[in-house]
Amino acid sequence: MQDDEKDVSRRDFFKTVGVGSIATAVVAGVTDASAQGPAAVGPEEVPITLTINGQRHQLRVEPRVTLLDAMRTRLDITGQKRVCDRGACGACTVIIDGRTYYSCSMLALEAQGRNIRTVDGLATGNALHPVQQAFCDLDGLMCGFCTPGFVMATVALLEKTPNPTAEQAKRGLDGNLCRCGTNIGVLKAALAVKGVTRG
Amino acid sequence: MADEQVPEVQAPPRPPQHPTYPWPEKSRLLGTRISRIDGPQKVTGRAKYSYDITRPGMIYGRILRSPHAHARLTSIDASAAEKAPGVKAVLLTIKPGDKVLYPGEEIGVLAAATEQQAADALRLIRVEWEVLPPLATVEQSMRPEAPQVFTPANTRRGTAQEDGDPAAGFKAAAFTVEATYSTQVQTHTSLETHGCVCEWNGDNLTAWVSTQAVHGTRDGFAQGLKIPQANVRVITEYMGGGFGSKFGPDIQGLLCARIAKAAGAPVKMMLDRKEEHLATGNRPSAFARVKAGVAADGKLTAFEAQTWGTGGAGAGSDYPLPYIYVFPNRRRAHTDVYINSGQQRAMRAPGHPQGCFVTEVLMDELADQVRMDPMEFRLKNLPALAPNAMWAKYFPMGAERINWQGRHVTGDPTPGPIKRGLGCSANRWGGAGTGARAHCEISSDGSVVMRCGTQDIGTANRTIMAIVVAETLGLEVPQVTIELGDSNQPFAPGSGGSTTAAAVMPAMRVTAGKARDALFERIAPQLGVTAKEIQIGVGNVIAGGKTISWREACKMLGTIPVSVDGAWERGLSAGGTSGVQFAEVEVDIETGITRVKKIVCVQDCGLIVDLKTAETQCYGGIISGLNYAVFEERILDRNTANMVNPNMEWYHMAGQSDIPEIDVVLVDQPERGVIGIGEPPAVATAAAIANAIRNATGVTLRHIPITPDKLLTELERAGGTN
Repeated sequence: MQDDEKDVSRRDFFKTVGVGSIATAVVAGVTDASAQGPAAVGPEEVPITLTINGQRHQLRVEPRVTLLDAMRTRLDITGQKRVCDRGACGACTVIIDGRTYYSCSMLALEAQGRNIRTVDGLATGNALHPVQQAFCDLDGLMCGFCTPGFVMATVALLEKTPNPTAEQAKRGLDGNLCRCGTNIGVLKAALAVKGVTRG
Repeated sequence: MADEQVPEVQAPPRPPQHPTYPWPEKSRLLGTRISRIDGPQKVTGRAKYSYDITRPGMIYGRILRSPHAHARLTSIDASAAEKAPGVKAVLLTIKPGDKVLYPGEEIGVLAAATEQQAADALRLIRVEWEVLPPLATVEQSMRPEAPQVFTPANTRRGTAQEDGDPAAGFKAAAFTVEATYSTQVQTHTSLETHGCVCEWNGDNLTAWVSTQAVHGTRDGFAQGLKIPQANVRVITEYMGGGFGSKFGPDIQGLLCARIAKAAGAPVKMMLDRKEEHLATGNRPSAFARVKAGVAADGKLTAFEAQTWGTGGAGAGSDYPLPYIYVFPNRRRAHTDVYINSGQQRAMRAPGHPQGCFVTEVLMDELADQVRMDPMEFRLKNLPALAPNAMWAKYFPMGAERINWQGRHVTGDPTPGPIKRGLGCSANRWGGAGTGARAHCEISSDGSVVMRCGTQDIGTANRTIMAIVVAETLGLEVPQVTIELGDSNQPFAPGSGGSTTAAAVMPAMRVTAGKARDALFERIAPQLGVTAKEIQIGVGNVIAGGKTISWREACKMLGTIPVSVDGAWERGLSAGGTSGVQFAEVEVDIETGITRVKKIVCVQDCGLIVDLKTAETQCYGGIISGLNYAVFEERILDRNTANMVNPNMEWYHMAGQSDIPEIDVVLVDQPERGVIGIGEPPAVATAAAIANAIRNATGVTLRHIPITPDKLLTELERAGGTN
């Protein structure tokens, strides 16, 4: 059993943690809504306010629009990528209130009133975040399309577990996929960064 | 006869070349570890891919596709879609009576103000079909009673080869192995799907395309739309992976351009993940029924194979076989089998992983017959050493790093469910390139801009271009500006076959060298010397014992910059690489789960330009081979031929916890010039893993991917768990 615990595969991980987290997010949304009484919205566009990288954005979206699509197609915040669009690959990973979410699997409506962080807001001017710098120095990227998701997953991992073991780092990044095969550099980067504090 | 088997291996060495701008004998930057220059753009999200492009007034396109593998259209009505909210234009490309031959075949397109409106409108198009019986597997297609779906037949006889005297070869054999091997269909699964943004300005089209060939795609648009090439501009500043599947505008690109014209607005059309799996290419499956003979002394004597495979609806499936090792007498006949699925396209070392897997697993089985160590057995049957055929040297190098002498014979005798094993295999590839052109400007403030219409598909092309220019001009990499990914820049070929580095680096060396010479000519009079007396230093130029900083030297140019064109020249790059890989695995024979613990890779690629990103290329190739070995497979429903896993959760790929330790040894061959490295490392991994699983468990897995169900079935057949 111990071995199983340690050697959990991506798919096992996803089954237990990834889907679970999405389910949790959805349930939480439902609970909040019922507490305030059912309020049917849509199908027409509705006004919403999103707080992304510390900036408030007011926009109108149909209720069915995901957080990812709202950011990408309405606000031109295109750092996070749309790849699988169903919570399997992690390219859309954002950090909301300190933990990772697949923004393709969360409605923009649900993300209101929460602190959303994307890769676009990580650097300070031209000064890269230590995780971004490590990805560059240790070549944790190739085509770069999975990279924003991996960077955000690594930031979330290190904010929670500042000096992870290799096993902890792998588990923390198991929700992200790369097709070029940059995983060696990604893991090196996750293990090289020291002293990340909560953003 | 052997030279037909592996032509590039036996090719005579090229006559010595005397390039005008040879590689430096002692380099300052080449072969060192330099970080990719576009890293900061990519890790900050500032890099804009085609998927991220937004244009004023842009709307969204979506393609209507066949839900059926084989059907005839009876009626189609788009009138409701035309009137749907937000819809700007609808185009149908099918008419009643037309047939479709695979699920996902394009039959129309529309454009609407938002993606949601486009998707809604698509559902309003009423399509009625006469559904016809599909061919979902090669077995179904090859049955004598199969319906004839393809013209002139469901199968096509392909390559037939015969060399030596197979009958005599088998007579000389002390042992033979007869077995059937197979490899699966895999899809490219590029993370950025295919697609583009098309914008018309009168009769001129600008297209931001996710492509591996900006010039080829420009030409494809011109041809497909019947407009002059001069009217088309293709831009690909950043690109999210292609692996061989993105060489032209494709049907979706042409439909995007047409619907943009019809709608009178720029249109973005990026495919979704399902469309990507169904209709944008795949690696064909391969099957091989093989008989091979070996003499008592371990020398191969004969090889005979019937091979077949499918590249989908009307596309080929050939692959090199046997691979690398010398079978003096051999016969092989190949048949392409067509089924009702999307067509294959070139995929990362087309054909080679298939041929490598079949041959290398066979080699381990033959080695056991003659009771030889599998590596010794390989060494006995390799072609002679040559610069592009270095396996006999690399096998012992890799063996040491994987602790091959600690290997047990087939079947780990250790009690308990966890079995460990080692395996090895070899690869070869071409990687030669030609034809790239470039333009270089040196300005009076010391700026250097190099323009070349190549593309960086994730290989670090942009970075190694800057390294070569900086090396040639005595500058540091950040002092060089590289502009690429635009068909308005000087021509460069598409990025396929690992040819980009070998095509583009010579153009960089020559063009930068010419720019340097032109600079010297211009400033020589002011320095009171002849151009021949000026040399490049580091960050400066040296003229007759005097050192002048680069900035000061460039200042002498005044208002007119140095502006020169250059092109690829012979003698700076080559083709033909070789490599070996070793795998160490742990197999749980109770669950059937394989964990790959370590891969050792010994690989050459000529002159190494950037050691850091060349190693990353190897890691990437190996991880793609790992996926091929144990994870990924396109699975079709055997009744409907619809893909049942057109997504990324059931189309399995390695996650971070599945990645083994990878030990890469890159062998530098500076005397050969630059050779591509994108594909070679992807070839041999699956075979090495399969052989390691065989060494661990004692059972032979002849069909990849080696999933737990297959492993448990073979273990059961072999008599249970120990």
